[in-house]
Amino acid sequence: MTTPLTFTSYVRADGVSVLVATGEVDLSNSADFAAATDAALAGAAGRLLVDLRGVEYLDSAGLNELLIRAGRLEIVAGTLLAPLLTISGITELTTVYGLTGGGPTGVVAPWAAEPPA
Amino acid sequence: MAVRDDGQGRKRAAAGGGVFAGDGQIHRDLAAVDWAATPLGRPESWPQSLRTAVGILLSSRFPMWMAYGPELTFFCNDAYRRDTLGRKYPWALGRPSREVWTEVWEHSYSRITTVLSTGQATWDEALLLLLERSGYPEETYHTFSYSPLRDDAGTAVGMLCVVSEDTERVIGERRMATLRDLGSDPSVARTEEQMLAFAGRQLTRNPYDLPFTLTYLYDEDGTARLAGRTGLPAGHPAAPARLAAAGDGEGAGDGDGAGDGRPGKDPVWPARQAAAGEPSVVELVGEPFAALPAGAWPLPPTRALVVPLQRQGAGPYGFLVAGLNRYRPLDDATRGFVELVAGHLAAGIGSARSFRAQQRRAEELAELDRAKTAFFSNVSHEFRTPLSLIMGPAEELRAHLAGAGPEVRGELEVIHRNALRLGKLVNTLLDFSRIEAGRMQARYEPADLATLTAELASVFRSAVERAGLAYEVDCPPLAQPVHLDRGMWEKVVLNLLSNALKFTFDGTIRVAVRDERGQAVVTVADTGVGVPGHELPRLFERFHRMENARARSHEGSGIGLALVRELVALHGGTITADSREGEGTVFTVRLPYGHAHLPADALVAGGGGPAVTAVADPFVQEALRWLPEAEPEPEPDAGDRGGGGSGARQRAGAAAGGPFDVVVADDNADMRGYLTRLLRGAGHRVRAVGDGRAALEAVRADPPDLLVADVMMPRLDGLRTVAALRAAPRTASVPVLMLSARAGQEASVEGLEAGADDYLVKPFSAAELLARVRATVELARLRSHHARWRRALTDAMQEAFFVCDGQGAVVEVNAAFTRMLGFGPEDLPYPAVPPWWPAREAEPEAYRQVADAFGALVEQGAGTHTLPVRHREGHRLWVSASLARVHDPDSGRSMVVGTFRDVTAERYAVRRESAVAALSLRLSRAGSTAQALDGALEELCGLWRAGSGVAAVFPAAGPPQVTAWGAPAAWDALDGGLREALTALRDGPRLAPYADGRGGVGVGLEHPRGPMAVWLGLGAGRPFTDRDGTLLSLLAGHLAQGLARAFQIDQQRETALALQRAILGPAALPAGFAVRYEPAARPLEVGGDWYDTVALADGRIGIVVGDCVGRGLQAAAVMGQLRSACRALLLQDPRPDRVLLALDRFAADLPGAGSTTVFCGVLDPGSGRLAYSSAGHPPGVLVGPDGATRLLDQGRSTPLAVRGRSGTRPYAQDVVPARALLLLYTDGLVERRRRPLSEGVERAGATLREGRHTGTRELAALVMERMAPPDGYDDDVALLLYRSPAPLEVDFPAEAGRLAPVRRQLREWLDRCELPAQTVQNVLVAAGEACANAVEHGHRDAPGGTVRLRAEARADRLYLSVADSGRWKPPEPEAAPHRGRGLALMRALMQHVTVTPGAGGTTVAMDTRTAP
Repeated sequence: MTTPLTFTSYVRADGVSVLVATGEVDLSNSADFAAATDAALAGAAGRLLVDLRGVEYLDSAGLNELLIRAGRLEIVAGTLLAPLLTISGITELTTVYGLTGGGPTGVVAPWAAEPPA
Repeated sequence: MAVRDDGQGRKRAAAGGGVFAGDGQIHRDLAAVDWAATPLGRPESWPQSLRTAVGILLSSRFPMWMAYGPELTFFCNDAYRRDTLGRKYPWALGRPSREVWTEVWEHSYSRITTVLSTGQATWDEALLLLLERSGYPEETYHTFSYSPLRDDAGTAVGMLCVVSEDTERVIGERRMATLRDLGSDPSVARTEEQMLAFAGRQLTRNPYDLPFTLTYLYDEDGTARLAGRTGLPAGHPAAPARLAAAGDGEGAGDGDGAGDGRPGKDPVWPARQAAAGEPSVVELVGEPFAALPAGAWPLPPTRALVVPLQRQGAGPYGFLVAGLNRYRPLDDATRGFVELVAGHLAAGIGSARSFRAQQRRAEELAELDRAKTAFFSNVSHEFRTPLSLIMGPAEELRAHLAGAGPEVRGELEVIHRNALRLGKLVNTLLDFSRIEAGRMQARYEPADLATLTAELASVFRSAVERAGLAYEVDCPPLAQPVHLDRGMWEKVVLNLLSNALKFTFDGTIRVAVRDERGQAVVTVADTGVGVPGHELPRLFERFHRMENARARSHEGSGIGLALVRELVALHGGTITADSREGEGTVFTVRLPYGHAHLPADALVAGGGGPAVTAVADPFVQEALRWLPEAEPEPEPDAGDRGGGGSGARQRAGAAAGGPFDVVVADDNADMRGYLTRLLRGAGHRVRAVGDGRAALEAVRADPPDLLVADVMMPRLDGLRTVAALRAAPRTASVPVLMLSARAGQEASVEGLEAGADDYLVKPFSAAELLARVRATVELARLRSHHARWRRALTDAMQEAFFVCDGQGAVVEVNAAFTRMLGFGPEDLPYPAVPPWWPAREAEPEAYRQVADAFGALVEQGAGTHTLPVRHREGHRLWVSASLARVHDPDSGRSMVVGTFRDVTAERYAVRRESAVAALSLRLSRAGSTAQALDGALEELCGLWRAGSGVAAVFPAAGPPQVTAWGAPAAWDALDGGLREALTALRDGPRLAPYADGRGGVGVGLEHPRGPMAVWLGLGAGRPFTDRDGTLLSLLAGHLAQGLARAFQIDQQRETALALQRAILGPAALPAGFAVRYEPAARPLEVGGDWYDTVALADGRIGIVVGDCVGRGLQAAAVMGQLRSACRALLLQDPRPDRVLLALDRFAADLPGAGSTTVFCGVLDPGSGRLAYSSAGHPPGVLVGPDGATRLLDQGRSTPLAVRGRSGTRPYAQDVVPARALLLLYTDGLVERRRRPLSEGVERAGATLREGRHTGTRELAALVMERMAPPDGYDDDVALLLYRSPAPLEVDFPAEAGRLAPVRRQLREWLDRCELPAQTVQNVLVAAGEACANAVEHGHRDAPGGTVRLRAEARADRLYLSVADSGRWKPPEPEAAPHRGRGLALMRALMQHVTVTPGAGGTTVAMDTRTAP
């Protein structure tokens, strides 16, 4: 039985590339997570926004993939992952949105108005 | 007797089935007894208890014997044989005890009966037994204890006796008591007869050592006179009233009717030998000794000891005859005792005789005083004539010898001045007596008061100014004259001025005259020392003198102001004084104008005349003598004194009569000079000082042979000077001769009470002074001889003796005190809280006891207390303290004298007696060997106040088992030295106490599981005496027996538990449950309580707790059937009410099943829903995570088969909340006699609340422990405890793909725990990391292992553990920088994380708080 994890990627109207992950990331599928992120990075014009709001579980293996790519991506996450991301220190390496509970998901969020640096 | 060689060359007695194994003579002799002929039969057939007892007996080095079986067959060990049995050995072995101890059977049998019937040990301390072991009946004392011996069934069938001999101690204490009584006479001084009568009464009280005594004293002619006797009637032939002169030799007793009645023969007692100072022994054979008293014994003495009553420096006073106890040998101790008695008598006689001599002298002195007083009172009025005959010629001589040398003029001045002074004094006295008699001849004439007063005042000007004082005279003329007697007014003004000058040291003296409201007012004001408020009313009283006031002089009669008042009154006026202490005094005289108030016949016309007459001269002369400049100090000859210390040197060598070193203290310069001249003239060396303080300094600087001091002195008066001298050890013994002008009995008593040695009243003759000086010095030397003698006496006392001064400081201790407490006289004085008192901080209770005893003295005067004190080396002593408050006749001060008798041994003996009883009680109540050992160890530690106690049992296999009190209870945790000591005891003889000399004691004994060693840590400095050893041995014997009995209970109990468990409960409980079953402590049987859990098909769980009536196998059988039936019914139809209904029908047909109570429930562990019904069972208890508690008290109905076969039963539903506890139990847990059931239920709930954070199993144990009554449960208890949800336990293969499903399971379980979402997420991640680590690291090199995840939620905490079967690799940061992140995450998300690597795998344990 594999851990459920799906990806969707798109380019927002303002040109930002977004990778949306849904499911759980653990030791068994962190390689898939890494591959999907790399693919999205390859297709992205600038920095990649990784949307983790649909991720119910993220362990250190998944975190590690994000950390080694932190210079090239930004993250949006829900409050569920907030302690984890804060503890891991990734918030000091790149911008992580939504940790304190941002606007509604799906539509344009407040952070989206700002162009990625 | 079969003997075999054990291969090491040692022979062992093997007969008797090894009971008598050992290589002593006693073993062989015991083995040789024909046991088959005794009621005990052959040793091979003896029960284990008898064999154990014999083993204890034989292995002990303490004297012991035992009696066992129906005829109380006699056994003893080697020590007993040696010390006590004597010739009865080996005959006695194996015989009935009645035959062995025929002569003391009366004593023994009653005690054995007590032991066998009550099972309690006896304790006899120092029992008198007349033993024939030394060839004569001998007075002996033994301390022994009989303790019961039990057979294998626990019945007392014999007794074991441990003995120790006390003869030396008992006799020693008895003699000490007599010596103490002799020394306890409260009256210090009395006659010889009184002293001997008192001593006689004390000696009569010891008819043991002194069946009779006779005291003979030598008269001057050498005849010995019977002065005291005890034990013998008057006129007994052995007690002749007189024995002929000691020096008469062969002619002793001849011709004297009161003689010994045996003319020509030796006297009855060897008076001559005694007179030579030699003691002798007299064999009491012959006629005079035919009918001697026996004292406390069956037969009279056969010998007497004659001891001289020694006198220091001369032949003996007499001799003491002491009839001796025939049951004791005449050894050194006996001789020493009689000699000490004689010493007491001699000391008493010496003291009585010297007291008599002193008394005689005191009476002579008193007679002298009386005569003198009478003389002075008769002749005082005769003074004036001789006085005028002195003054007149002296005046003339002054004129004639104006050209003579200064010495002659000086002498004449002295004569003149003192004649003036004496004249003034006599005049004043005569004035006063005239006034009193109404014979005062006054002549009142009109006078100018202001001028007259001013003139009188001017007379004093020079004296006032010389004193450095300001002098204001303000006397404006008055409008009209005042009628005055000029002579009287002169005395008024001069007395007031003289008074003012005497008490004023700086400031001003002011004299003023004014008119005020129709009266003439004269004031004399000073800025002197003032008068205290309480003295003011008495200021004008005759002879009243202010005590202790600071003044220029203490000369004076105390009559001046009284006279002034009388004189003013004669003028119809008044005088008042207004004063403030330290500020000054104002005297105000008010006189009326006119003459209406005066007797007409005393009025004369105004004649003028001189204001100041010759009367003024003495006043001024006297005042000038007070002032320092006026003092023509008679110069002490410096050469006389030489260097410092000459006084001491001379004193040591001074022969009777001097010369002596004398300090003279007098404020009157003339007197000082006169005394100095007088004493120097007699060859003495003199230092002269002007007041008490200077005298004190002079004496302290170099103590003289004598201080001659005036009573009245400024700064420090004579009485207080003496008191100060007596208070300091260095000067206390300096004799003091007091001088005073005050005659009379009272004054001399005051002086003597203050500590003066003699008292001389002025005036005195030169010869009298010199004689008194010599007598006082000599008497003081005699007194110091007495002090030495007294010292020897107190040191001879057997009791510790001490004296405290008025402030409580200890100023004297005797030798016995030093022996007892270790504190010697060299450190005297000791403070009021001396170092032998218990420390106030460390032992407040003991301190209070001692402080109270001394405090009570203030009210009660005397008392006897038993008090704890501390030896110099730190150990505790108990003393019987006799304390008394006494008046020191020398100093007049209140003091405390006390004696201490060491009663430590007695006190501990009482404690130990109760300890034997306490230990026996503990052991008899113990329900298991562990309890017995715990209790016994606590008792032993308590008894010896040991800081720690350890008992180690050495089983045949395995490590030593340790029970400890105040020490670690594990062999490996014990100190190495202690382990060695315990091992040595294991290998040593049984019941032989061993003390290591450093405060550790131990004893070896037999535990049913192997040899046992007990060790007590008493702490350094605590003595462990032979008596302690005896007791430890005795107690260890009791303990061994008690352990053997408790061991039988253990075995029975284990059997019962094994049986019960075989019947009870499911082998495997569902998760989340914990159960306990405890049979009643006694009687130990299987019971009818049960619990059960049944796994139902739908995942629910059936829960049953029941309690059948009764106990024993019958109840257990019923219980088994009901349990099986209930199980079957639940599986068939999981509705609790219907199960119970069916069970009703089943129970109705099952004998003994009626009235069983049952709780039956069905629990859905997923939802926590619980359906239940109760058949008369106590309610379940539910405790939520927040501590909220409620009872499952619905669905209740009657116990089984009570209502018949029909009807319905109620049924209730409830929910066990997440993280809540459910407790079901049988009534044994909560039911207590005379307490409501609800109270027990409430307590159970409280225990759950308190323990809701602990694990289920520990909590179940805690509930059982907390609810247990002190003596254990008296009914069976079954208990079932459940916590919802049950802990999660998941085992999964170590593969990454398994992580997600495991996570899902964990998430579901966490949801059931009803925790906050963030907590769930944190726990999930932490658990996930641990699992991932287990998969990734633990099994990287060894795939195929499993990982175990366990999670448990308690009230507000969640516990997680992840265990793998592999080995974690430590993170290698360089190879994989992210590897360590998992652990960091766990630590960040959970409160505690521990990683425990092991050979079989690694376990990560984490926990975190779950409540917000």
